[in-house]
Amino acid sequence: MKEKIISVSFVIILFSFSLFFLCKEDTLFSDIERRKLKTKEYLQEDVVENLEEYLTDQFPLRNNFLSLNSIWNRYILGNNEDNLVYLKEDYIIEKMYPIEKESINHFIKKINEMITEDLQNNEPYYMIIPDKSYFLNEKDILKVNYEELKKELKENIKGKEIDIFDLLELEDYYKTDIHLKQNSYLKIIEKLGENFNFSQKKIEYKEKSFKEFKGSSAAKVPFSKKEELNYLTNEEIENVKVTHLEYKEGKVYEESLLTSFDSYNVFLRGPSSFIEIENNNIEEEKELVIFRDSFSSSLAPLLIPYYKKITLVDLRYINKEEMKKHLEIKNQDILFAYSINVLKNSFLLK
Amino acid sequence: MVFSSISFLFFFLPLLLLIYYIFPKKYHNEILLIFSIFFYYMGEKEYVILLLLSCFFNYYIGKKIEKKHSKIYLTIGILLNIGILFYYKYTNFFIESTSKLLNHPFETLNIILPLGISFFTFQNLSYLIDVYKKDVPSSKSFRKYTTYITLFPQLVAGPIVRYKDVNDELETRKESFSSFSDGVTRFIIGLGKKVLIADAFYRMYTNIYNSNMSSFSYILVALGFTFQIYYDFSGYSDMAIGLGKMFGFHWKENFNYPLIATSVTDFWRRWHISLSSFFRDYVYIPLGGNRCSNIKNIRNLFLVWTLTGFWHGANWNFILWGIYFFFFLIIEKYCFKKKKIKSHCYTFIVIVISFIIFNITDLKEIMTFLKSMIGIGVPLWNKESIYFLKNNLILLLIGFIGMSPYLKNKINNKKKGNKWIEIGSMLYLLIIFLLVISSILSNTFNPFIYFRF
Repeated sequence: MKEKIISVSFVIILFSFSLFFLCKEDTLFSDIERRKLKTKEYLQEDVVENLEEYLTDQFPLRNNFLSLNSIWNRYILGNNEDNLVYLKEDYIIEKMYPIEKESINHFIKKINEMITEDLQNNEPYYMIIPDKSYFLNEKDILKVNYEELKKELKENIKGKEIDIFDLLELEDYYKTDIHLKQNSYLKIIEKLGENFNFSQKKIEYKEKSFKEFKGSSAAKVPFSKKEELNYLTNEEIENVKVTHLEYKEGKVYEESLLTSFDSYNVFLRGPSSFIEIENNNIEEEKELVIFRDSFSSSLAPLLIPYYKKITLVDLRYINKEEMKKHLEIKNQDILFAYSINVLKNSFLLK
Repeated sequence: MVFSSISFLFFFLPLLLLIYYIFPKKYHNEILLIFSIFFYYMGEKEYVILLLLSCFFNYYIGKKIEKKHSKIYLTIGILLNIGILFYYKYTNFFIESTSKLLNHPFETLNIILPLGISFFTFQNLSYLIDVYKKDVPSSKSFRKYTTYITLFPQLVAGPIVRYKDVNDELETRKESFSSFSDGVTRFIIGLGKKVLIADAFYRMYTNIYNSNMSSFSYILVALGFTFQIYYDFSGYSDMAIGLGKMFGFHWKENFNYPLIATSVTDFWRRWHISLSSFFRDYVYIPLGGNRCSNIKNIRNLFLVWTLTGFWHGANWNFILWGIYFFFFLIIEKYCFKKKKIKSHCYTFIVIVISFIIFNITDLKEIMTFLKSMIGIGVPLWNKESIYFLKNNLILLLIGFIGMSPYLKNKINNKKKGNKWIEIGSMLYLLIIFLLVISSILSNTFNPFIYFRF
């Protein structure tokens, strides 16, 4: 009897999934993985090569199986860094450890190249934004030796450090995303003001919120909850001129992207190599250039009241020669603002 | 195509089962043949031609050997099989080694190793030798012989099934619920070993390797190497044997809990049994085995173990790996003649070190690894190694528990007549199967290690 049950059940399971697969329509997008899935068109390129990738992407109940795998790894095998993320309460914390020495050296080299070759007449500053693991107990996780890292950067980068590590806490970050909440930049702006010589203004903001936010880390943990994404705006911010190298005209907050696969793209439309934000309703003539990653997309809007023009350069998407065609270095304030993620993957810098 | 893939599990296998069991028995071999060729094509495309030509050549030579009982045909057959294996597997190794030796850069050839060539070459060789020795009659038809060689469960990573062991079942075999359910059970257990355990050990040691290493980290990595290769390869053999059973074949065991061996000699009676018995029967015994002087016996053992190492890969570390075992086997055989070694601990340490040599292709790196394991040049432990131990404790426990049959035997003893344990064991299979699917969908990494041989 047992033999029959095992044999028949096995065959039924195999056939059920096969039939289910054949009957179901292709799913175009995975919400929890935040990526496009391979569809039948992909098979037209090379069926033999691409078949397995297509089948794994379109497998029935895929999301449930992905969750089951996470449960197995994290809760049964006790692997607290499943999918290379740690969990603390509802916070999903990407594992940044280890950062290769070569990557740090490359980062230093790239910044120094820029400073010595193009910014001799400016007074450049650099600011490193810690990741969430900085705030966790060392016993529970493997984390980067931040003190050593900061020392290494301070000794080698030919610019002045703006240290914001002590200003931040875990609650300043989104639970499901690597980025800082926009509100958290308010205290950072105070520190920037001290270094760039602008005095704080009393600015009234209207806070808008999107309650369905799930950040980029949410895909790595089953059952992650939605959270609120807030952004601060006012008339001055809404009336600036935003010019992207790629998309031409833009807005500070692209609200239509709130419901896209990455809601964080609401800030200055997400990844963009070169953006100029011009504020013509301001008397100050100060200009700022930020060499940056995605974190500065939510920082830049809050700096609008202090600068006539803010230029954002993402050296991961544009090289120096191309940048120089669009940017004339004069006496602007210069800030290199990078998160730990870029330090870990600094070979992306062009 | 690998067994632990969606295309195999939910398309290839159900379709084959459907067609196989719908059609009458007389078509069964043909169905297996067509599906096996398709299986190989999905992994190797153009090398299907090489595989079929190899089958045709060996079938033809087999006939000639039987008819004329000629050593010349046997020699031609052996030389051609080894020649093909040598060309695809070892040419570049010899070019590179000669380049280094003469300090002159010779250009390597653009040769891709066909999947399973080491396995099907050895099956062909065993067939020709067995026919010559009249242990088995030559195959009645090219179709039957090709079915034997290409049979998909054992085609790309063994076990090395001999024609004489499968000849009868190729003619007549009885499929039954009992054999089928045994096959399913074995197949799912094998899948679990490969996907849930071996791949997890791979992830464990690559993570540790990328961290700040201490002596203890090196020990964890070495354990990771050992468990990964054991669960990977024995898992594959379980799947192959299980699939064979689903279609009525009953092949010999390839692993018998080798990690609990009490000596290196015992280990090689339990590890990759089909390979060690191949070398015993077709190399060691023909050379004189142990029925000769001690010097000749040592020479025979040296040759067999160098070849065993070299079979595993075209690199010096594999030759060193074979010689390493030769060294321990000689010590056990000649230094402990009267009082035989019986120690799990000694054997386990020897095995773990052997898999360091097996996994690391650079000889200098092997030395650094071994030195670091005993704390030379690195701290004994650090926060990273303690963290990795904590984080992989359950996996390591599973690794240690699974290397012995103790738990399995306990459950089997209690299972008889106990309805709940029976139900529990069926649920256990279901859970493993679902976890395997979830893991396949989540992980991009899942090639079998033994495919490269």
